[in-house]
Amino acid sequence: MDPEAPTLNATNGSVLQAAIVYLVAGLGTVVVMGLLGLLMRLDHAGILVISADWFYRIMTLHGAGMVSGLLFAGFGGLAAVVSVDVRVSSRGLWIGLLVFLTGMMLVVFAIVFGAFAAGWTVLDPLPYQGKTWTVAAGVTVYIGYLFTGLAIVVVCATLLRATTAQGFGRALAWDVLFHPGRSHEAEVRPPVLIATVVAIVGLLLVVAGLAYLVPLLLEAAGAVKHVDTLLAKNTVFLFGHTMANLCIYVAAGLVYGTLPRFARRPWHTTWPVALAWNSIIFVIFFPWSHHLYQDFVQPLGLQILSNLGSFAGAFPSFVVTIVGALALVYGADLDWSPSAILMLLGVWGWVLGGLGAILDAVVPINQVMHNTMWVPAHFHTYNMVGVAAFVWAYLYHLAGELSDAPARRASRWAAWLYGIGAAGTSVVFFLEGAHSIPRRYAVHEADWQGYARVAIPFVVLMVIALAWLGAEILARIGRAYRRTRLAPS
Amino acid sequence: MNPNGVSPVSVWWVFVALGVAWTAVWGWVLLHAGPGPSYEATAPRVRRLRRLLFGVFLVAFGVVFAVSLRAYPYFQFRSRSIGAPVVTVQVWGAQWTWDLSQRILPKGVPVEFVVQSQDVNHGFAIYSPDGTLLTQVQAMPGYANHLIYRFSEPGSYVVRCLEYCGVSHHVMLDTLTVH
Repeated sequence: MDPEAPTLNATNGSVLQAAIVYLVAGLGTVVVMGLLGLLMRLDHAGILVISADWFYRIMTLHGAGMVSGLLFAGFGGLAAVVSVDVRVSSRGLWIGLLVFLTGMMLVVFAIVFGAFAAGWTVLDPLPYQGKTWTVAAGVTVYIGYLFTGLAIVVVCATLLRATTAQGFGRALAWDVLFHPGRSHEAEVRPPVLIATVVAIVGLLLVVAGLAYLVPLLLEAAGAVKHVDTLLAKNTVFLFGHTMANLCIYVAAGLVYGTLPRFARRPWHTTWPVALAWNSIIFVIFFPWSHHLYQDFVQPLGLQILSNLGSFAGAFPSFVVTIVGALALVYGADLDWSPSAILMLLGVWGWVLGGLGAILDAVVPINQVMHNTMWVPAHFHTYNMVGVAAFVWAYLYHLAGELSDAPARRASRWAAWLYGIGAAGTSVVFFLEGAHSIPRRYAVHEADWQGYARVAIPFVVLMVIALAWLGAEILARIGRAYRRTRLAPS
Repeated sequence: MNPNGVSPVSVWWVFVALGVAWTAVWGWVLLHAGPGPSYEATAPRVRRLRRLLFGVFLVAFGVVFAVSLRAYPYFQFRSRSIGAPVVTVQVWGAQWTWDLSQRILPKGVPVEFVVQSQDVNHGFAIYSPDGTLLTQVQAMPGYANHLIYRFSEPGSYVVRCLEYCGVSHHVMLDTLTVH
């Protein structure tokens, strides 16, 4: 397919409408959560004093909102990208969004009115034993998470139904994978393959979520006397880690779908691409136990499996996708639009964050880094510099394309400013981790506050950059949305 | 590798070295993102690069994994690398205090901490007098985790909770005196 083929066609107008709402709602959530993050850093710097109760409530909301906001914005973008090739049900997307928003409202309600502050990872038995919130608040959050899981099921089933309409094996590029010597004229484009993979992973991870949530809801109802803490820890991280990890793979689908436009070259579903993405269906489920390295009663075999599984993720991600993205732009007459810059910054951040994660996945290193600021350092790097940059890039591109408004040259500066701000924010987190500063502390000791003070100007740079790009997007998005309604559907 | 554990600052420098190398490669590619050789011309080189990277990653990860086994913090590994414990300390975590059977410990001998929780998950972490995280283990309700550590220097060591456990998590502190 021509890499510069228009996104809007005769059949996908309604899908693009839903996608725009997903992207705007998801990234709007990310902006609000980012401002809450700034508040927390001002508190760490000793510039603003937030009570511990509210700090931990904000921290809980920030985590839950960021992961779900990025995931659903990414899902919306991916639905738009694949709607060029396959028929996606806009009804499925709208239902998914409604269910997701219901879940989010329940979580927000429990935090704001129920004082729930157990962290987004809801590590059992804290949600029921918080001392400053009730069991009812914990149950409300768990039910909110059930809705979020249901929303993931609806969206993933919608994507899977669309991508596999011409066969499951075709959607997973098995012809390319198992018959590499043949000509594959009618190959699926990588975004369709990626949408299929992330939809399968999404459906499977919800099973882990149910394995966590259902026993705990039964415990609250009195139907189960006690849920084993170690088992609950395994299931919650199998669900939570995989969901957080899924964000980057969903966002990678936007890179495969859009970077070829800027490079003016197609990105084919070659054998390495087919192998890498099929392997992710398995590889993504191995690393969860690295969250339990410091639980010495966890079976040693699972710790080793997790260590090797964390390493394994580098092969499909770096050797195939990152190398593929760099190869695509090398020697290309690249269109240096703000979106292209953000996507290339995202490639840089994905690798840097992954590097921090892989180091932390080595058991003796994790011994001295676990639950220090090194942990938020690595996931902020690949989420803030990686996932968020990819999704912002896609929305900026889509709003521009659909509204027929060319990217402004000056806005390239905003993209670079975002990169500098996000990179600086992340590097300071890493420095704090290297100096053993604990994560999830409402109060930072005087010796630690200097790091957050260095980070704050970088956060402000990000705010300026996003205000700049966001204003441009908002100026175009109305026209872009109306344009999708004009297309026959 | 130090059988007691690795130094966090050394991990930082490994990260910086690898991060700078990656940034250089990324920057070099971006500098060559103008008109140049066709995609078809570079494709065979990319295939060779992928094969090379696959091999390099496989060897590097294998070596790191093998070396790391020597410094695993688990009881069966540390009791071999630093010796069987001669002192045992019972540790109970509870929102938001530590209960330790003893707080004065000898230096230079392996000490075993039997770490448990009365309520939610906690993280039992020992910080050196200069504020560096030395070792840690989780305190889980219903389970006992056994941690061995040998203090090589006398001084006042801070015990912090490193697993978020509620709104006073950050004040869940205690002190160990080693002499």
